[in-house]
Amino acid sequence: MKEFTVRIRRFDPEKDKESHLETYTVKVNDGARVLNVLHAIHDTLDPTLSYRYSCASGQCGSCAVLVNGEPVLACMEEATDTMTVEPLNLPVKKDLITDLVPRLAGMAHLMPKDKPVVPAKEDIDAIKPLRDCIECLACVSVCPAMSVTSFLGPTAMRQELRLALDPRDNGDRISEAVRDGLFTCTSCQACWKVCPKDIEIPGKAIEKLRSFANKRGFSFPRHQEVAALVKATGRSVPRTAESFLEQVPDVIEPDGPVRATVGFFSGCMYNLRQQQSALDAMEVLRRNGIRVIVPKDQVCCGSPLIRTGQLDYVDELMKKNIDVFRSRGIDTVLTMCAGCGSTLKNDYPNDKPFTVIDINELLTKYGIEPPAKLGITATYHDPCHLLRGQGVSDQPRNLIRQVVDLVEMPAICCGSGGGVRSGNPEEAAALGKKRGDEIKKTGAEVVITSCPFCEFHIAGHTDKPVKHVVSVLLDGYREKDKKEGKK
Amino acid sequence: MLADEVVDCHVLVIGSGGAGVRAAIEASQYGDVVLISKIIVGKGGCTTMAEGGFNAVLREQDSCGIHYEDTLKGGSFLNDPELANILTKEAPLRMGDLVKWGAIFDFTDNDEIAQRPFGGQRFPRTCYAGDRTGHEMMMTLIDRLRYLTETQHKKGLTLLQEYTVIDLLTENGRVIGAMALDEKGRLIAITADATILATGGGTKVYDISTNSSSGTGDGYAIGYRAGAELIDMEMVQFHPTGAVYPYDARGRLITEAVRGEGGVLKNINGERFMQKYDPDRMELSTRDVVARAIATEILEGRGTPNGGVYLDVTHLSREQIETRLPMMLEQYLAFGVDIRTTPMEVAPTAHHIMGGLRITPECRTTLPGLFACGEVSGGVHGANRLGGNALAETQVFGRRAGAAAGKEPVRKKKIDDTQVQRQRDRLDRFRNGSKNPARIRSMLQQAMWDGAGIFRDATGLNTALAAAHVLADKPIRAETHRNLAECCTIENMCLTASLICRSALIREESRGAHVRKDIRQTWDAEHSPFGHTFISKTRQGIEQKGDAP
Repeated sequence: MKEFTVRIRRFDPEKDKESHLETYTVKVNDGARVLNVLHAIHDTLDPTLSYRYSCASGQCGSCAVLVNGEPVLACMEEATDTMTVEPLNLPVKKDLITDLVPRLAGMAHLMPKDKPVVPAKEDIDAIKPLRDCIECLACVSVCPAMSVTSFLGPTAMRQELRLALDPRDNGDRISEAVRDGLFTCTSCQACWKVCPKDIEIPGKAIEKLRSFANKRGFSFPRHQEVAALVKATGRSVPRTAESFLEQVPDVIEPDGPVRATVGFFSGCMYNLRQQQSALDAMEVLRRNGIRVIVPKDQVCCGSPLIRTGQLDYVDELMKKNIDVFRSRGIDTVLTMCAGCGSTLKNDYPNDKPFTVIDINELLTKYGIEPPAKLGITATYHDPCHLLRGQGVSDQPRNLIRQVVDLVEMPAICCGSGGGVRSGNPEEAAALGKKRGDEIKKTGAEVVITSCPFCEFHIAGHTDKPVKHVVSVLLDGYREKDKKEGKK
Repeated sequence: MLADEVVDCHVLVIGSGGAGVRAAIEASQYGDVVLISKIIVGKGGCTTMAEGGFNAVLREQDSCGIHYEDTLKGGSFLNDPELANILTKEAPLRMGDLVKWGAIFDFTDNDEIAQRPFGGQRFPRTCYAGDRTGHEMMMTLIDRLRYLTETQHKKGLTLLQEYTVIDLLTENGRVIGAMALDEKGRLIAITADATILATGGGTKVYDISTNSSSGTGDGYAIGYRAGAELIDMEMVQFHPTGAVYPYDARGRLITEAVRGEGGVLKNINGERFMQKYDPDRMELSTRDVVARAIATEILEGRGTPNGGVYLDVTHLSREQIETRLPMMLEQYLAFGVDIRTTPMEVAPTAHHIMGGLRITPECRTTLPGLFACGEVSGGVHGANRLGGNALAETQVFGRRAGAAAGKEPVRKKKIDDTQVQRQRDRLDRFRNGSKNPARIRSMLQQAMWDGAGIFRDATGLNTALAAAHVLADKPIRAETHRNLAECCTIENMCLTASLICRSALIREESRGAHVRKDIRQTWDAEHSPFGHTFISKTRQGIEQKGDAP
């Protein structure tokens, strides 16, 4: 037995105007789950504590709660001392009990055909991965799109695809999905990361539905314009000024000894819209002994097309990029755009002839020359495709802490991903505004991120400068040089 | 009116597991249905937790006759033959319903529903969806329910979710509905032309149990208090393989599919001990035999330090484990054990009550107006249930109950105020009580585990029975009106426990899951002179072979 002190969010609609946190100290067994702590409180200290559970073995999806802000199944998550347990971000009925029923009742159901159809094994195998859902609504609790639009939510989309793939179903699932917000998903992947059954809803359900929707002619004109541009120019952004690739040599040699050689994948945004960030990156790499090969014939990674379900041209882009790096014998491809990095790592074939590394990972791996501290506070915005798409979280923080004082804010999507900024500008603006509010709360003087889309979008919703990690490092080097009297 | 709210319907279904939802689906063809449930429909009960499978004869090489024989043999010939016959004949049809409604069962390369071997069966006839078969069924049933709710507005299908039924309403001996508490503790009366109990089982009366929070025996207690007769309540199945640690996870079900897929049992010395107990069927013997074997190994000192035996699948391919037993893999990983490389540790856990309300093939109980289906009913499984027969039972008898109840004539019903007042008085007693209900519950669970477990004798059973009686009389306290339902549930647990002990004392033989260490017998199961035990408010006893029931 051991003793845990935990905080529980309590709310009784019959008595309380607002919820409050209450602290309890209870004895629990070794290996106790969160649910066992709730039982212990209810059974020995406070029988008025209300919470919902049924199977206690991760199969019914009735006990999802937030533990330290993250949705988990109370019955499966191991309890920890000092944890805070709160209800999901859904309407609260009492204490930890939320109102799941309206969301559950809104899930699509099979519409039987007049003549019964028997599915084939391949139908079953396609649907099975979508069938593990226990409707715990953890995904609904974290979906940013749902907080600002009428999106029916991640698991509702999973269900639409499950039905769309079923030969027994007579419904028009694609039209329904579009109606219910298919194109409002920013592909932030928060739903996947909290899913107790690890269902990859954005990649395996939403993008698949979007590709069906594309075939049915539901793609937004703005998305089609991007696709046309990619097809015509190999780039998802029009050329309005000298591109990054035009400004740099084919190989950038480092100042000192070569510690590593990488091929650089610039991505459309850094090549054509935010060239300065990419140039800053080259400076930082040069200073840290990284030799950079920059193939000039590289093209768009395909992400803007994959996320919006326009898959026709994607294979060609992939093949082209793979050939570009293969032909130069490059075994490590460096990205500094979170979206490109995630796409190259996760959407490109597993047998690609190179490994992909994000610039934060690279600089962490080889270590950097210490920059000078700037004496300013900054906050860091986690790009979804870096944090969740690539699992990169500590590295950028440890890098920028060498230059600024870091003030954290919650990791929530800025609203620019998944084709939402172009397709649903109002939603993107609403999410951007929420980011702006969070930034304000931190009191930071600078916003740092590691994705051109986030950089560009957040800049429209804050009066603080928004910079890439490498630009901040470069600021630190310049300050260092100034202090040391160098030019 | 003494109730806070009154609802009327044609058919009232109590319970939202596989049997209840199936019954509601069927009954909705005949009139308006109210489905009432302690927890959110689709999330409660044990169906959604059922892992292994659904027995149905689907292949030419198999036959319903063999399934019937297996079921009777597995049940130590205590099954009601007609109910068992219906189970085996209709299981394939009900499987067909599920597939028609969208179920995603595993398929073979020939586009047929896949089947795997389960204990006590001569043919691999257990259909499955990985090791989340019950969940797949429940999702399909809920999907169908949503479809009917949207397309059958006229007849009406109302869900009262998170309402706890506390007793039945009767009028001149006929059941005319039920009384329930909503989550805030308001008293609701629901009148119905026919009422279906589909409340599931009750092995939560034991300290170590696989059941969900709703396995508290409410249906047995509610039926008994209304005057219904129950049979074979001593027949409690201890599933051979439950988790043993960590402490709070004790009893969690480790599906029979683990053995169906080739898992082997070993004691601390590494011996495949089933060789001693059932050399022919080994790990795939019937559950009563395997549970006793494991319990014996542990009692005789050949268990693991954690008090279990090993269940080993490390010799299977990783792919087989990952695709056929994904839930087991996931659950064990959550507790820090990788079953692909490390044997599981398991011990028996209270799982299923074979006994229950006596029913006819139309699921009529001994009370007019009251029907029962699923685990709350008795007779289908006899003295031991075959793995895979419970999911089939929910569908076969859920449909039968729904159809028979639906066909009941529409009647005028009058709520008896004294019955409502009796409930009000009961609730007031809880409000004025003093004892912590959680404490009473755990004392009961321990007493039942100690006195009415796998190996029984009259002394132990009498001790457990006395404890159940004493605990039932304790003045338990409802701290707020939201705690009233919990107090009713604990009363139900005490009553169910006493029904198990009383029936176990009446059956003076060892048969199937019921083992009396204090009784020597000269007969085997097939030649037992005894039939069902029966118990109601007005009589109790045991049928002799050849008696008319």
